[in-house]
Amino acid sequence: MSGSHEWAVELAAFGKSYAGGWTETRRWAVADISLRLAAGQVLGLCGPNGSGKSTTLKAMAGLVTPTRGDVLIFGAIAGSPAARTRVGYLSESVRFPTRQTGRELLRYCAGLAGVPARQVEGRAAAALDWAGLGAAADCRLAVYSKGMRQRLGLAQAIVHEPSVVLLDEPASGLDPEGRLALVALIRDLARQGRAVVFSSHLLAQAESLCDRIALLGGGRLLAEGTPAELLGAVRPAPPASSPLEKLYLEKIRGR
Amino acid sequence: MAADIQTFGYRDSGRRVALVARQTLAEALRLHLAGLFVVLGIASVLMVLWLREFNFGAGELKFIADFGLGATGLLGMLLSALATAQLFFDDLESGFAACVLTKTVRRWEYLAGRLAGVMALLALFVAGQALVLGIMISVREAQVGAAFVPLAVFLQATALVWLKVSLVAAMTLLVCSYAGSALFAAWAGLMLAAVAHLRSFTDQASWLGWLRIWPNLGLFDVDPLLSSGHGLTWDGLLALGAYWLAFTVLFTGLAAYVFKRREF
Repeated sequence: MSGSHEWAVELAAFGKSYAGGWTETRRWAVADISLRLAAGQVLGLCGPNGSGKSTTLKAMAGLVTPTRGDVLIFGAIAGSPAARTRVGYLSESVRFPTRQTGRELLRYCAGLAGVPARQVEGRAAAALDWAGLGAAADCRLAVYSKGMRQRLGLAQAIVHEPSVVLLDEPASGLDPEGRLALVALIRDLARQGRAVVFSSHLLAQAESLCDRIALLGGGRLLAEGTPAELLGAVRPAPPASSPLEKLYLEKIRGR
Repeated sequence: MAADIQTFGYRDSGRRVALVARQTLAEALRLHLAGLFVVLGIASVLMVLWLREFNFGAGELKFIADFGLGATGLLGMLLSALATAQLFFDDLESGFAACVLTKTVRRWEYLAGRLAGVMALLALFVAGQALVLGIMISVREAQVGAAFVPLAVFLQATALVWLKVSLVAAMTLLVCSYAGSALFAAWAGLMLAAVAHLRSFTDQASWLGWLRIWPNLGLFDVDPLLSSGHGLTWDGLLALGAYWLAFTVLFTGLAAYVFKRREF
């Protein structure tokens, strides 16, 4: 463990296992992952279902405790008070209470995130405007589209201006227009100097958006690096295939 | 970037608990469940007007109060267990609890806020029921020309009902902290409430002695007040309040201990 505070997110030999049932052995959801991410960078966690992406994100958010290794946010243990003031998180396919308005929800989240009472209204409004939801702020969430709810999810994750933003499958279920809007917001977060970690099945999107990509498979880190570093290791691919998809399939099938 | 975020201090715990409580109450009021219980409650209280034709060997006014507060207590316990479990697991299963708990709110603050919100819902329910019941009793008092218990005693009886159903909410919350579903948590909460009514049997069967560690909901029985027409003394009120507070804090503390270790 480096203990260096220059890294916004640092995983050192992180592993997470779950106890099996009476007849099952302990199952390792994630085994021996080491990653580092600096502020202002975007890290994409890519892999098939069950590869450990969500578990890794939850460990960064402090929602699960590592069985082995360390997970640090700016040098603080993930889940500790110091780390939680600097983290914003959006869980996969979250369903917000439908009978509230967007503004009410953001006020609630801002208050719980420690935003001073006199700033809650302003921060909530700013987060909603940033996410393009200013006009719908006072509408009940029941009438929000899928894209709007995902953007609201982003808004609640950043309402307290965290330094690290963790997004679990933020593009899930979005149409192309929704994905484009989401990509623009994530790019803006990185431009603001925040470290962003998101999981995705959409490799082409990760390739264009991320500064670093981590390919996970079976709970293990199969490859990690910048898109250029990863693609440099790819054998010539047929023109019809995305090079990153080719690498991904090679790694998944080759293990 | 996060420089002006308030620290994680306990000074702000009250504010966070209040936020969660307000959110819980708002969600609870929007639940169809709460509305259903209000309708059932009012219907059960009004049913007294029909049932009073039967002679249960007690004065009519006492019968109205007994039946009305009894129905309120029973429905209140059902509402307590169901609302606590439903609201808790709605947040958990939707993924919203995960988003909330990564913020600076502590897990015990979240639980305390959830419990406070449900208690506020129960207060509204019990108060509403008592209001309808009180009006019925007043009207009958005028019609039959008889006086029932003083208002202060009736209000004390109402408060005892609220204390009892609130304690059931705390029991259910403890189950929620480790349970896997709202259905299990609600049923377990109701079973624990049933166990809490068995204290009177511990004297008759020694093997039931272990029940003494569990709260005795029989202490919140309103019959002694309604039968005698006299309220509790100040010492009695304080003792009962302290008893209620001790068990509420115990259950919430245990729930917080378990929930702190729960992974998502």
